[in-house]
Amino acid sequence: MEDFFPHVVFTILGIPVRNTVVSTWVMMAVVLGLVIVLGRRRPIVLEMLVHFLNDTISDVMGRPAEPYLPFLGALAIFIAAANVIGVVPFVVSPTRGINTPLALALVVFFSVHYFGIRAKGVVGYFKELASPIFILPLEIVGQLSRTLSLTLRLFGNIVSTELIVAVIFALVPLFVPLPLVGFSMFTGLLQAYIFTSLAAVYIGAGLEAGESTPAKSQIKSSEERSKN
Amino acid sequence: MTEMDPGVLVTIITIVVSGVGIVLGTAIPAIVEGRAVLKALEGMTRQPDVAGQLRTTLLISMALLESTAIYVLLILLVLIFANPLLDRFF
Repeated sequence: MEDFFPHVVFTILGIPVRNTVVSTWVMMAVVLGLVIVLGRRRPIVLEMLVHFLNDTISDVMGRPAEPYLPFLGALAIFIAAANVIGVVPFVVSPTRGINTPLALALVVFFSVHYFGIRAKGVVGYFKELASPIFILPLEIVGQLSRTLSLTLRLFGNIVSTELIVAVIFALVPLFVPLPLVGFSMFTGLLQAYIFTSLAAVYIGAGLEAGESTPAKSQIKSSEERSKN
Repeated sequence: MTEMDPGVLVTIITIVVSGVGIVLGTAIPAIVEGRAVLKALEGMTRQPDVAGQLRTTLLISMALLESTAIYVLLILLVLIFANPLLDRFF
């Protein structure tokens, strides 16, 4: 069972490199090569992929997704490829170690503030983040716990499905694990979708932090109507 | 009762807690997710126009509900493979 969890393969200048990092490099090379070949031979496939990502993210955010498409689309493609490449023998999923999901969740955490500040300016963004001042601690705790839950969700899902495959493989090595391998690929693609949707929802919430005035006026008007 | 090695006791407690914990920790989120799917399906059949929007919301809320079961699994994986309490006795 010790082989299942990521371990240090070699060190560069005293920095330990785990096998998840090596498989990330392999995965990046595969994705890059695939994109170059498809871009030469069948560009329509890449256009369809971009359209699909654009439509999905626009649906989730409820606004045009063009400014956020490079970030969120890259996130979706990276996570989907990282989860699926674990099916290849001798290549572990990069998301099997907790470091890759944590890095991705931290990127999402900072990008929420980056897009919020870009939309409303530094002072305006932080003023809206702490609009009644006693909300600020709750807001900070919410931001941190959301990052933690993004990390643990991706890590836990990938580890659990691959652990099931490993256990079944240890019991019955022939043909029986195949449906579970398919299930783990499906879970990986679904987790990529969910991670990207949640990142889109968080970025949308960061943009909408100060746009709550119409909702408040609606509540007020409905209260007045109920009084009358 | 004879004197028991504390490491053995911790191991036994870990195994029992893992069994009980994985049952409770997966059954309760599964029931709640079933309720969410039920309500979403009712909404979809009643108003097929907003089915896509409902599906998106359903998937996101399913992910949020699912994460509680994942937390249980992670705690149990830590208990089984890297139990911090065993180091205190050995």
